[in-house]
Amino acid sequence: MTLVAENTKSMTAPKDSDVVLSVQGVSKKFCRDFKSALFYGVQDISSEVLGLRGDHNDTLRKKEFWALQDVGFELHRGEALGLVGKNGSGKSTLLRIIAGLIKPDVGTVTVKGRVAPLIALGAGFNPVLTGRENIYANMSILGLSREEIDDRFDDVVAFAEIPDAIDSPVRSYSSGMQARLGFACAIHTEPEILLVDEVLAVGDMRFRAKCNRKLHHLREKGLSFVLVSHNAQSIFNLCETCVYLSKGELIISGDTEEVVKKYEEDLYSTELVSHEGDFSIPQKPVGESLGVDITRLYFKDLSGNPCESPKTGELAIFCVEYKANISVKNAGLVLVIKEVAGEGDILLILSSFNDKIPLDIKIGRHELQVHMPHLGLTPGSYIMQVFIRKDSIFTYDYIESFIFKINSEIAMGRSLFHQSRTWKQIDI
Amino acid sequence: MVSHSSSTPPTPEPESRLRVPQRNPKPVAIQVYRPASEMRQPLKLMRRMGADLLASRELAWQLMKRDISAQYRESFLGVAWAIIPPIIASAGFAFAASADVINVGVTDIPYPAYVLLSTALWQTFSESVMLPMQKVGSARMMLAKIQFPREALILAAMGQVLFNFAFKLLLVTGMFLWFRLAVPPTIVLAPVALLHMVLFGTVLGMFLAPLSALYQDFQKGMQLLLGTWLFLTPVVFPPPSSDGLFGLLVRFNPVTPLLVTTRELMAVGTISDPQGFWLVSGLTFVGLLVAWLVYRLAMPYAIERFSS
Repeated sequence: MTLVAENTKSMTAPKDSDVVLSVQGVSKKFCRDFKSALFYGVQDISSEVLGLRGDHNDTLRKKEFWALQDVGFELHRGEALGLVGKNGSGKSTLLRIIAGLIKPDVGTVTVKGRVAPLIALGAGFNPVLTGRENIYANMSILGLSREEIDDRFDDVVAFAEIPDAIDSPVRSYSSGMQARLGFACAIHTEPEILLVDEVLAVGDMRFRAKCNRKLHHLREKGLSFVLVSHNAQSIFNLCETCVYLSKGELIISGDTEEVVKKYEEDLYSTELVSHEGDFSIPQKPVGESLGVDITRLYFKDLSGNPCESPKTGELAIFCVEYKANISVKNAGLVLVIKEVAGEGDILLILSSFNDKIPLDIKIGRHELQVHMPHLGLTPGSYIMQVFIRKDSIFTYDYIESFIFKINSEIAMGRSLFHQSRTWKQIDI
Repeated sequence: MVSHSSSTPPTPEPESRLRVPQRNPKPVAIQVYRPASEMRQPLKLMRRMGADLLASRELAWQLMKRDISAQYRESFLGVAWAIIPPIIASAGFAFAASADVINVGVTDIPYPAYVLLSTALWQTFSESVMLPMQKVGSARMMLAKIQFPREALILAAMGQVLFNFAFKLLLVTGMFLWFRLAVPPTIVLAPVALLHMVLFGTVLGMFLAPLSALYQDFQKGMQLLLGTWLFLTPVVFPPPSSDGLFGLLVRFNPVTPLLVTTRELMAVGTISDPQGFWLVSGLTFVGLLVAWLVYRLAMPYAIERFSS
C-alpha cells in the first residue's frame, strides 16, 4: 500500500488554479441543550429571513460551544485529503458545511463543481421498492437527470454486483448488497468532489478493495475527495495530505504521516498513562480497595529485564505486580487487547480462566506473569485492559487502559499477525 | 493504472469498458457558502430559487413516482385507499341525513353526491396541508446528508395530492352518472379553482414543514386542527345563510370560498362568491412566495438541529 501512496503523490502536483475546495476560517456553534436549541433555532431562522444575520456570528450564546473553530484548508483537483479526529471532533459538521447542508457561523466555503456525499450511502432507499426503482430515485436525488441515469444504469448494476436481484425489493437485500448499491450509485454520479465518511468500513473485504481501486481510478481522472475517519490506517492508504481536528479546532494539517503521528500521540496522552510500556499505579485509598490491588504493569524480555516495547516473534513476559491483604484461591488474570487507532474491535483476549489455569493470590507483594513465547502482535500501538478476577466474574481490581508499543526486527509486510515458523527442505 | 498492480491482480470492472457515452460537459458551478443571510442579496436569492425550482422538476417526478408506488405496494386494497375514505364519510352522512339524525339544509345537488364531492375536495385540501410536512419529515435522513433542491419535496407532495384526487374523481364521476346529473360547461375552469385550493393548503404545509421535521407537535396539532376545521367548512352541510357566530366563522374561513367555488364550477355552473374566491387566491399567491422563502431559508437551521 505504501507503493500506492508514492505513486499517487507524484501524480498530483498542486497548482493554485486547481483549487476545487477552499475552506477559510470556518467556525460553527452548537448547542446540546434541547430547549435552548429550539429557541436559538427560531431566533436564527428569524434573523435569516429578516436579513439580520451577518458574516461574523462569533459570540456564543448561553449553553453554546464551538463545534468548529477557525478551520481552514484547500483541496486541489485530483487530491485526496484525510480528515482525522476522535468522535465528536467536528469532522461530520465540517463535511456538512462543505456539502452545503448547514451554514457556517463565521468563514466561507468555496466549492467548484458537483459534490457527491458518500455520507449518504443509500439515503433515500425505500425498502419496499425494487433495486431498479431505487437506483433511479437515489441517483436523481444525487442530482442526475433521467437520461444520465439511463446511460449509467448498467454500470451501476454491474459494479454493485446485483444483476439478479435488481427487480426484487431492496428489503430483501443483505446489508452488504445495500451498501454496494449505495456506493455504486454515489460513485457513478461522477462528481468533482467526493465526501467519504467512514463508509469504506462497510461490506466485505473484497468489495472494500474494489471500492478502493475505484477511488484510485477516479483520482487518476481528476476527482478530488475528502475522506473522514477516526481510523488512521484507511487514511494512510488513500490520502497524501491530512487535517487533524480535535474539539473543533484544527490541530495540524499537512503531510499525512506527520499528521497521523501527532493524532496517535494525542490518543495516548489523553489516556491516564504517563509511562508507556511500564506503568506503576499509586496506592488506592483504603475504602476503595477490595483486598487485591494491581501496583505495576510491565513487560520483561528474553533476558528477564524490564522492557518498554516487546518485539514481534520474540518471547515477551507480561507482568502484573499486585499487593494483596487477602489470599484468594482459583483467581485468574484476564487481558483484553485492542489497537489504539482501531475501530474498537478486540484483537486478543488472554484469560487464565479460559485456559483452565488456576492462579493463587497470596498476601503481600507478588507478581502474576503471562509468558508469550513468540509474540504474535504486529508492530504498532496497543491498548490493554487488565483484570484480576475470581471465578471469572468477580473483579478484584482492573486497569482500564495500559498502552504499549510493539517493535519488530522481522519484515511483516502487510500481515495482520505474526506466525512463528521454521523453513525446511526435505529430500524423499 | 500503476496503482492496482501492487496490491491485487486487476479484475475486469465497468470502468475499463467505459460504456458511458460522452455528453456535453456541464459548466462547472461555483458555490460559495457564507454565514450571512441570503436575504441580503435578494436578486441572487431569487435567481437561485428559480434555478432550483427548474432543477427540481425531474427529481420531484422521481420522488413522486417512488412514493406513489411505495404507498400502494404493500397494501391489499392498493389505490382503493384513495377513494375509500370519501365513500365511508359520504355514506355515513347520507344515512344520518336520510334518517333525520342530522338536519342539513337544501343542497344544490342530491345530498349523497354533494357530500361525496365535498369530502373528496376537503380531503384533497387536508392532504395538501399534511403531505409537505410528512414528506419533509420522512426525508430527514436525506436532507441531512444530500444537497438537493428542497423544492422537489414540495412539488412531489403536490403531485401526489393531485394524483390521489384523480382517483377520487373517478368516484365522483360514477356518482354523477348514478344520479344522472348534468355537468355544467364551467367544469373546464374547475382545475384552476382546485389548484388554488391545493396551493393554499401547500402554503400552510410548507410554512410548518421545517419545524415539523424537528418537533412532532406540529403535525399532530395540525391533524387535530383539520378535524375541527372540517366542521367550519361547508362540506357536509350547505353554506349557511344566517349571520350567527357559526355563519360568520364559516364565511371568514379561507377554505370556504375555495372549496365552494371548485364545487360550484364542477356541479352547479354559477359562482356564489367570486370576490371571496379571488381575495383568498390573491392571499394564497402572496403566501406562497413567503412560505417558499421561509421554507428555503429555514431548512439549513432545521437540519442543523436534527442532524447533530
